[in-house]
Amino acid sequence: MFLADLHIHSTFSDGKLAIPEIVDLYGSKGFGAIALTDHLCESNTLMGKAAAYMNRTLTPAVFPLYMEILRTEAARAWDQYKMVVLPGIELTKNSVINHRSARILGLGISKYIEADADVVQLARAIRAQGAVAIATETLLSKRTELASEIDAWEVACGKKLSVELLESGLPKIATGGFHSAKHLSSWKTVFFCERHPQAILDAIRNQDLKLFQYQEESSHDVSKHLDLGGMGLRNGTDGRGNDPVHGALPLSVTGSKILVGSGTSFDPQAFEGRRLRVAGESAELLQS
Amino acid sequence: MKGVDSGLRENLQSFFSLDYPKFELIFSVADARDPACRLIEDLMDKNPGVDARLIIGAVEVGPNPKVNNMMRGYHQAKYDVTLISDSNVRVPANYLTVLMPDLDDETGVVSAVVSGQAPQGLGGRLEATFVNTFYARWMILGSALGFPMVIGKSMLFRRSVSARFGGIQNLSKFLAEDFMAGQAMMHLGLKIKHMRIPCPQVIGKHSFSDFWNRHVRWGRMRKVQSPLALFFEPVNGPIVSGLLGAFAAHKLFGVAFGTFFAAHVGFWFLNDLVVMSFLGAEIPYATPLFWLLREATSIPHWMHILSGNTVLWRGAKLKLQPGGTLAEPASAVARTA
Repeated sequence: MFLADLHIHSTFSDGKLAIPEIVDLYGSKGFGAIALTDHLCESNTLMGKAAAYMNRTLTPAVFPLYMEILRTEAARAWDQYKMVVLPGIELTKNSVINHRSARILGLGISKYIEADADVVQLARAIRAQGAVAIATETLLSKRTELASEIDAWEVACGKKLSVELLESGLPKIATGGFHSAKHLSSWKTVFFCERHPQAILDAIRNQDLKLFQYQEESSHDVSKHLDLGGMGLRNGTDGRGNDPVHGALPLSVTGSKILVGSGTSFDPQAFEGRRLRVAGESAELLQS
Repeated sequence: MKGVDSGLRENLQSFFSLDYPKFELIFSVADARDPACRLIEDLMDKNPGVDARLIIGAVEVGPNPKVNNMMRGYHQAKYDVTLISDSNVRVPANYLTVLMPDLDDETGVVSAVVSGQAPQGLGGRLEATFVNTFYARWMILGSALGFPMVIGKSMLFRRSVSARFGGIQNLSKFLAEDFMAGQAMMHLGLKIKHMRIPCPQVIGKHSFSDFWNRHVRWGRMRKVQSPLALFFEPVNGPIVSGLLGAFAAHKLFGVAFGTFFAAHVGFWFLNDLVVMSFLGAEIPYATPLFWLLREATSIPHWMHILSGNTVLWRGAKLKLQPGGTLAEPASAVARTA
């Protein structure tokens, strides 16, 4: 069992930290996997061109450097921290008209993908490389038509949880949407598979994962928090295998408290053996 | 290296005279028939105590001929710390001694601000004025703003660090492999430093068209690497900024347009004199004349730069693509830009 953040931006787009700094930050916190997903913007729109002019997007010119640095840093991350680094991109269509904006994460990619095609073609281009296509909340309104093209949906990003996506029954993951160190405390995903790139991609496809809200503390100890999985949290959301919300309740653990959604906290002792009702970002304990 | 320019013997001899305790010199020449080979062999014979090698033959790793020329030497070098230098650089004996302490674990590249020395002819004088004013200003300003300002005339780095982005061969598709080396180091979270003394470049004899074409190449390189910076370049000069300032001062405060403009240009010149002095450049009596001519030609020069995307370099006509990459050579031409 390990913690992963699969949506991270570096200096190759709009992130504040260089890839080695990100590796050291997550590695030192005990994470088992991260994915670098720098923006790869459309090249034929004004906003895409502006991103290229300001070095805020991957381009065909810098993509080989990006991949090479990821390759060498993945080797270092494994040697130093036993942490997997997945190469990824965030195919980005920005528009001043919000409903035209679209973002798809590609995890495990190996080749450059032009972001100019429509989202269905982009998802197919990602999957054609054996990578995993993850839709962000920007594509919420197209979830029905995209359902068969997408491996998972980003239900939570940063500190934000999409209740609509959570309750949609679609396959899901949670990510940090990391741009700088202050974004470390955010939603993450817990995996139960082997620490291997292919195993992680398969776990996303098979949904062998849990959503987790990570809270950075001065004395934070990820493994201690994750020990609470032994209390039965993995196989159910209330400690007994019951499933109040479509099988994947967002849980997070901080200190002696369990957070549900992004606001409510519970004492874990009080949590054991009781049912939980979740509505949006709030939750209440029910009498067993 | 390619060809024998004026002052080449003295430039290369300066590297044989370095006072650093342990180093090797590698001279990379693409073609065995290049007259530079005989000159290098002669210098090696006259400096038997210096560990030096001539390596002939380019390796085609991409469209950038300079990177191709360096590949064999780069891979055969004995030591990890590497200084890449152009053949028109003439270094002081303590050059490595001054450079080396700056290459700490947090630093990716140590580069330098160039000082144009020994210009000859009109083109040479304009070249020296350009390098010692406009170019030095951009280097210092860009560096102060945190941009990775690296020039290939003097790049000190560790090959083991450059291997983390694939080595210099991974930069071979770029025209400005030096600028991209700085970018790559920045993406590794490493610092770009400028050494405490300027890097002396011997300019020698240039015609006006040599000067013009060379800076069209450099300008078009900036155009594809940093288009926004190129767009605002004219403002980083006394004429456009002076006209704008004089217009504003006249409208807002009633200051005479000509008076403000003349004072602005004069003050700018004095500042450039300070920069030239700092760089150790020659400042002959005719300096104001060359300075004015260089500034007066800067706007048509800038417009010429904007008008196309091809450059002449080392006998090849190269097409620049967005992001600073080079298309494969379109055609060979007789002269080097």
